[in-house]
Formats: sequence, C-alpha cells, structure tokens
Amino acid sequence: MTVSSPSSFLDPAALMSIRNLELRARTVVEGFSHGLHRSPYHGFSVEFTEYRAYTPGDDPRHLDWRLVGRTDRYFIKKFEDETNLRCHLLVDQSLSMTFGSRGVTKADYARTLAATLAYFLAQQGDATGLLTFDEQVREYLPAKHRPGHLRHLMLALEKPAAGRSTDLAAPLKRVAELTRKRGLIVLLSDLLAPLESLEGPLALLTAARHEVIVFQILDPAELTFDFETASRFLDMETGRDLFLDPAAARIDYRARIDAHLAGVRALCERLGITHLQLPTSQPLEIALFDFLKARSSRGKLIRRKGAAS
Amino acid sequence: MNFVAPLFLVGGLAIAAPILFHLIRRTTRDVTPFSTLMFLQPTPPRITRRSRLENLWLLLLRCLVLALLAVGFGRPFFQRAATSTPPATGMGGRTVFLIDTSASMRREKLWDDARAKVEERLRTATPADEIAVLTFDQSVRTVVSFEEWKTLDTEQRIASTIQRLADLKPGWSGTRLDAALIKAAELLDRPGEEEPRRKEIVVISDLQEGTRLDGVQGYEWGRGIEVVLEPVTAHQVQNASAAWIPESDDSVGKPDGVAQVRLKVTNAAESKRDQYTIQWAGSADRQDVYVPAGQSRMARAQKQDGAATSLLLSGDDVEFDNTLFALPPQTVTVPILFAGQDAEDDPRGSLYYVRRAFPKSGRQIVEIATQRTPGVDLQKMEMIVLGNDVPDTVLDSVKAFVRNGKTAVIALTAAADAQTIAKLFDLPGFTASEAAPKDYALLAQIDFQHPIFAPFADPRFSDFTKIHFWKHRRMNAGNLAGAKVVAAFDDGDPAIVQAPLGKGNVVIFTSSWRPVDSQLALSTKFVPLMNALLEQSSRMPAQKAQYFVGDEIALPPGTQAVIKPDGKRVEEAAARFTETDEPGIYTVMPGTLRYAVNLPVEESRTVPLSNERFTTLGIPLHKSAVETPKKTVRQVAATQAIELEASQKLWRWLIVAALGVLIFETVFAAKLSGVASSGNVSNL
Repeated sequence: MTVSSPSSFLDPAALMSIRNLELRARTVVEGFSHGLHRSPYHGFSVEFTEYRAYTPGDDPRHLDWRLVGRTDRYFIKKFEDETNLRCHLLVDQSLSMTFGSRGVTKADYARTLAATLAYFLAQQGDATGLLTFDEQVREYLPAKHRPGHLRHLMLALEKPAAGRSTDLAAPLKRVAELTRKRGLIVLLSDLLAPLESLEGPLALLTAARHEVIVFQILDPAELTFDFETASRFLDMETGRDLFLDPAAARIDYRARIDAHLAGVRALCERLGITHLQLPTSQPLEIALFDFLKARSSRGKLIRRKGAAS
Repeated sequence: MNFVAPLFLVGGLAIAAPILFHLIRRTTRDVTPFSTLMFLQPTPPRITRRSRLENLWLLLLRCLVLALLAVGFGRPFFQRAATSTPPATGMGGRTVFLIDTSASMRREKLWDDARAKVEERLRTATPADEIAVLTFDQSVRTVVSFEEWKTLDTEQRIASTIQRLADLKPGWSGTRLDAALIKAAELLDRPGEEEPRRKEIVVISDLQEGTRLDGVQGYEWGRGIEVVLEPVTAHQVQNASAAWIPESDDSVGKPDGVAQVRLKVTNAAESKRDQYTIQWAGSADRQDVYVPAGQSRMARAQKQDGAATSLLLSGDDVEFDNTLFALPPQTVTVPILFAGQDAEDDPRGSLYYVRRAFPKSGRQIVEIATQRTPGVDLQKMEMIVLGNDVPDTVLDSVKAFVRNGKTAVIALTAAADAQTIAKLFDLPGFTASEAAPKDYALLAQIDFQHPIFAPFADPRFSDFTKIHFWKHRRMNAGNLAGAKVVAAFDDGDPAIVQAPLGKGNVVIFTSSWRPVDSQLALSTKFVPLMNALLEQSSRMPAQKAQYFVGDEIALPPGTQAVIKPDGKRVEEAAARFTETDEPGIYTVMPGTLRYAVNLPVEESRTVPLSNERFTTLGIPLHKSAVETPKKTVRQVAATQAIELEASQKLWRWLIVAALGVLIFETVFAAKLSGVASSGNVSNL
C-alpha cells in the first residue's frame, strides 16, 4: 500500500518501449493519479488554489459562478491566475547522457521525465517552458499554457541529442536572462562535471530567486561500476579511452563518485536547491512523487515564510 | 653464412606480425563506452601466468616458421675457401693447353703473343700440377703429354716445354677447335685415376670466326672440366679474301683464247676499305674489285699468261690469305679399244653406242680405237670392249691385258659368242644358249653395292623396269671361278656377270645393248653404266679442281713421288697423298698432273668469336670468361655466390624445417585449444 514500492509502478525499461513520448508521459501521470487515490498525500497540488469569500467591492468577474450555482455561496477565484506556476524544464542532452547500461539511457529517462512533468503541469494549467542544451542551448520554448504548446514541447524533446560535452554555464545564464518572472526551474542532468563548474551557474539561478529542483539522473552502473571484464573504456564525451580492469578500478571509482555526489548534494544544500538523485532503474512515478513532495514542502516553507512576513 | 638474395630477409620482419596480433588481441578485444572517465585511474589488467606462457610458445613457433622461410628465400650459402684460390695456381690441377697453329695465327704477332701466354701460365704452375700441351689446327698434335710431363724433371719440365714451343710455327691449316677440345677432354677424363682438384682446358687462340666448333654440339663434357679461353687479338681487322670458284666440268676445256678464273672476293665487316686489286703473280696487269664491307662479290681474273698459277689480292691489312692458287683444267686422255666386227656408223651394232657413251669433258677425253686403227698398242688401253668374232690373237692380248688388272667387257650378241669367254678363261666346254623370254625380260636383283651400279644406288635412279630386254643368252655363271652375278633377269638368268681373271675382271653382259637385243643403249642408264665400267678399269680417282690445306689427294696409279710447292720431293707409294700442309701447286711425278692447294676459305674469317657462341654450344667455359670484361668484382662475386648457393641448396633444408615446425605448431596449437576448451567445459 505504499507508494515507494517500485513493483506497483512501471519499470523504466518497459516504459521506454513506448515510442511516443507524450503517450509515455500520460502513462506515467495517469498511473500516478490512479495510485494517488490511495495515497496519504491526497490533495496536493503544484500551487495551492485559494477560494476567498466574496466581499462587496470585489470584481464580480472573479466570482466562481459554478460554485455559486452549486452551493449558492459566493467565492472568488482570485488567486488562481496569479499563483499560476511558470516552470522551466532544463534538459541536458550531452553525449554522456546517452549512456545506459540497463537498456535505458539517461537521455531517454531524462526526456521521459521532462515530458511527464510537462504533461502533469499542463494538466494543472501551469505554464511550462523547455530548454534543451549540451555545451550550448539547443531548443528553447518559453513557458506557456496554451493548447498545442505541450505538443511543441514534446517534439522539441524528441529531437536527438547532437552535442558533445556538458556545460551548464551558458544554458543557465540564458535561462536567467529569459525568465524575468520568478518561477520553477527543473534541471535534468547527470551533473558529471567538475563541481567548481557547477557552482557558478546554479548560484546564478538561485540568485534570480527562482525555485530550483535538480534531478541528477545517473545510470546504476555509474554508481556501482559493476563491469566484469577488462576492456578499453571510452569516454563518450571526450573520446579518450582507458584500458583498465574494472575489478581493480572499482573501489577507487566508487570513492571518487561518492565524493562527487556528496559534493553536489552539499552544493545544492548550500544554495537552497532541491537535489534529487535518480538512478535510471527507478520508476518515473517515484520521481514524480519526489517532485511533488519537494514542491509541497517547499510550498509550505514559502507560505509559512510569507505568512510570517 | 652469406645470402644470394638478402632482400628477402626483410620478410623476416613479418615476425612482428604475430607479436602485433598478440598485442592487438590483448588490447582491442572489447570497447566499453562510458559516460565519463573523470573518476577513473588507468589500471592495466593483469595477465594470468598460464595464458602468457602458452601464447609465448605459439608465438615462438610461428616466429620460427617465418624466420626459416625468410632465411630460406634469402638463399643462404656457406662461403668456401677453395673458391678464392686463383685458377692457375691451385694444387694438383690438371691442365691441357690447346695452342692454335692455324693459318690465321700467322697474322701480326699473334703467335708470339700465344707463346707468351703459355709461358706465363706455365710459370705459375705448381709442381703438383699436371700439364699437357697440344697444338691444333686441322688436326691435333701433342707437344707434351701428361706422361711426358710426369717423367720430366720438376725443375726442367717448364723450360723444356717452352723450348719445344719455340720450335713450333703456325701452319696453313684451318682451325678445328671442336676436335681439339674433345681430344683434350678425353685426356682430362681418365677413369680409374685419382680425380684432380681442377680440370682445365686452356685454349690459346685467335678464336676467329672461321674456327670450326660444330663438333662439340651435344658432346658430354666430363664432370668438373672447365674451358679457359685465352684469346690473342690482332689489331688489324681489315681483311679481304679471295676464293677460287672453279668452273664446272662441262664449261671448261672449251678451246677459247682467254682463260678466266672466277673469284669470290669477301670483305670483312670491320673493314673500312672497299676497293681491292687482284693480279696474277708476275703480271703487271691489275684489276680493281669493289667489295663493300661485310659483303662478297664475284670477280673474273683475266688470264693473259698461261704459266701463272697464283693470284694476288692487295689492298687489305692482313697478308696471310692474299695468295690464291688456280690451275687451268687438265685434260686426261683415256684410250679404249673396241674389238669386234661392227661397222663404224652402224646403229644396229655395239660400237655405235660405245662411241657415244663417253662424252668429251674438260677433265677427260675418251679415245675409242678399233682393231682397224693403225698402231694400236693394246696394253696401253684403259678398257677393252669385246664385240663378236674377235680373232684369237687379239683374245690372247686381251687375256694378258685383263691379267694386268684392267677390265674387259663382253656383250654376248649370240649364243656362239660364249666361245670368246671359253677362250678367255680357258674353259673349252663353256657354252651359252639362247633364252626365250615371253615378250621381254627385265632386270631384277641388281647389286647396287657393286661399283658398276653404285651410281644408281639412290632410289631416284634405281628404276630399271623401263629397260626391256628382248633377247638374252643363258649361261652357267657357276662355271667361271669366282664369278659374281651383278644383275639378274626376272627369270633368274644372270644378266651381268663379273668374273675375275688375274688381277683384272671380265664383265659379261648376257644381252648386248644393241637395239635388236635390248633397250639398254637407248636408256638413260647406259652412259653412267659405261663410265662406271671405265672408272673400275682405269682406277683413275675422281679429281677436284682445287684442294685445301689438310685435304687428302687421291693420286693416280703409278705415282712415284709428289713435288711440294717448296720444291721438296715426297716419295709416295700410297694411293693418297696427305702432306698438303701449305698452299701452292703440287706436282705428281712422273707425269704433268698438278694440283692446286689453297688456304681454307674459313681461315680468312678473322673476326673474333663471341663467348656466346661457346656457351650456346654447351662448352663449360670458366666463369671469368663467360662474363664480359666490364663486369665488376662485385658482379663476379655475385655470380660465384649464385653458383655456390646452387650447389649447396641450403634453402631446401630450410623450407623442410619450416614445414616441420609448421606441422608441430599446428599439432601444438590444436592440443592447446583442446585443453582450453575442455577447461572451459569444466568451468561451465
């Protein structure tokens, strides 16, 4: 009866066999909604929508007439538009994201997750924008909530990755420039780059008072380095290769990657960024759940702060 | 160890290939793409000890195969010390010196050069060497034989050989190097004796183009024989020569006023001149002849003075072949007696046809006498033909004539003519009868070996079936002692019988050649038949218009001596004269018969022979002679290397070894893989 049980969700590999990205996203979201009925976190949303009792002097345009018809009480849907979320999905499409040891590449996973989030947000009427990047910005769709926008977004996501390396600086700077309004920024990347190169761009986003959620998508093999045979290991981004025996290199590798992940986590903590590590073996519903959970705690936090002030 | 083709050793670099394969197999077996190498340190994988050892052995085997192949293709050989010794100073070699004494060696200082070369080689000889010295021209003469060399005192042998050479001079003969080489090879190859270290024939000659070499074609040269050519070269190569082309027998003897001698004047290809003159010795008349270089022209020397016998050619550098001897044709008169009653001009008789059987030629005039001819000396005749009704007195003389070695011919015109035979052979009971053939008889069973029929021995002329014999007489040849049936008729009766009488013969025709008896006189066979009979009777050898130095001359019977051109008188009892050792006019004593002996025409071709001619004839030339003189020391060494390699053939063993290793490698690898696969199975 718990959501965290992965068996009740779709296996990412099975999900990826669905070719259509939108269909994939819908499958995830609907499966999630079905599960939601049984969830203890019932009623959570991206933004808390508030009804306020009508007081004379309010614009009658904002009256919820359907509510009036149903209950004969006057409430104003005043905040629905104002609190509408502007979310930007930042999807890393560098070559390192094309790695996948369990049949699912990180890029596919990231793409599906982005589509799922977009679909989910669109259902709630939130404006969703997209920015794909590798070492430079590839696709940019401004945050909108319009019919057909979601389809554009899906198409943009489906474009194959062409870049080589990951460079967060340029895309994040660009997002910071493009989004004047405060909003939600979701970054989907493996963040396999030196820590010092990550700090600046991420700090730039938080400085613009955006709410930032980072999904660090990693292949299980990247975490465990569970290769068996000795071979030449080819760096997908730089093309450099290294001949090594995994058994011998594993311990050292694990120490290093753990240090890196801890560094990333610490960095995010310091910058007030929600950091979620996602192995590609994890069902997407859990990722969505984590997202909502992070949002809710965040929303409470903000609201509490707002209430306090 | 040396190599003939060292470049093939580069192929040995292929050894690197298996090593490379091993390396590649280790590194490029698997490529794993990975997102980043940021967190990886290079850690080369360890190789297990077992696999490394296995691979090493296979690698070594494969490398060995490649190395063996590379070395084999490089064609290695071991340098032998023996080959480096100079050819003339080896220990215990056997050498035959062939010194040319032909007429062409008379040019310039060729003879002195040749002698100097022999001396030079002799002086480098070691005491252990065996040496024979031979001279050759038309024939081969021994100056010092091996046996003689061995008996000579070690100190003295060289000096005495040189001394003997000093007494020699080139003659006038042609050059027959082939015969000399074969003789020398036979001298060198003596079975049963200890094999000498070196068998060498040293030819010291001008090696002019006219040298005869055809005889050695196909000759089986003994093992190890080498022919060393030591050419002596003349500096003057502009040579023209003249050869006498005698007229045919039919055209000579015509009593025209001016005699002509036809000459073929040949100019050497190297000549720069093309204008020469010919003149009779002692005459002032010169005649110009134009002959382009390398060609020959016919010329006619007009003979003004009948006495001159030698023609001089002038205008070229080389003197020895410039005198030519030519004689006018000499006519011999041969008397024949016809004993019988035939009228002179009766075409039905025998005499009529005998007269016409001996046409007059430039060499021979046959005079036919009869009993009626006044002053006939029967014993001076060369042949007697007996007709019918011969008086007994004449028959007695004929008997004496035949007993002296001549031939009498009897043609039986009737059975009664057997009386003539009976009287000649003193057989009173000898008779003959008239045979009665149906239609005609033909000649069958002809003995073509017999001198009478020898001219018809060729199948083209042996057809006698066109001659019909209407009548013939039957007689018993067995009654005549020693009689031989030369030809018989198809009914078995003898047709021509030869019966010996004293030193001579009686030839009996059982059917005469008169038209009433047979068609013989009218056939083409009659004239040759009668001439063959005459030749048998007179024993006059066939004469040639000119002879060459070294030829044998068949002397006429009764010759006592021959006067040579230098005036020397050679007493000669044999029928053949062999001492034609210089050109000139030879005179037969007694009598006036003369023979013109000239230098062999071939001797005038003085252009030096090329070495290719020797090699194409299969003469085993010494290697230094085969190469052109321009060849460098390196090239000589290269050819020696090829020879050595060819004799040792080490490459074969290397290839065999490579194959062996390959087989072993295959078996080994199979075994290894078997072990590996069974190991895998057990692991599974």
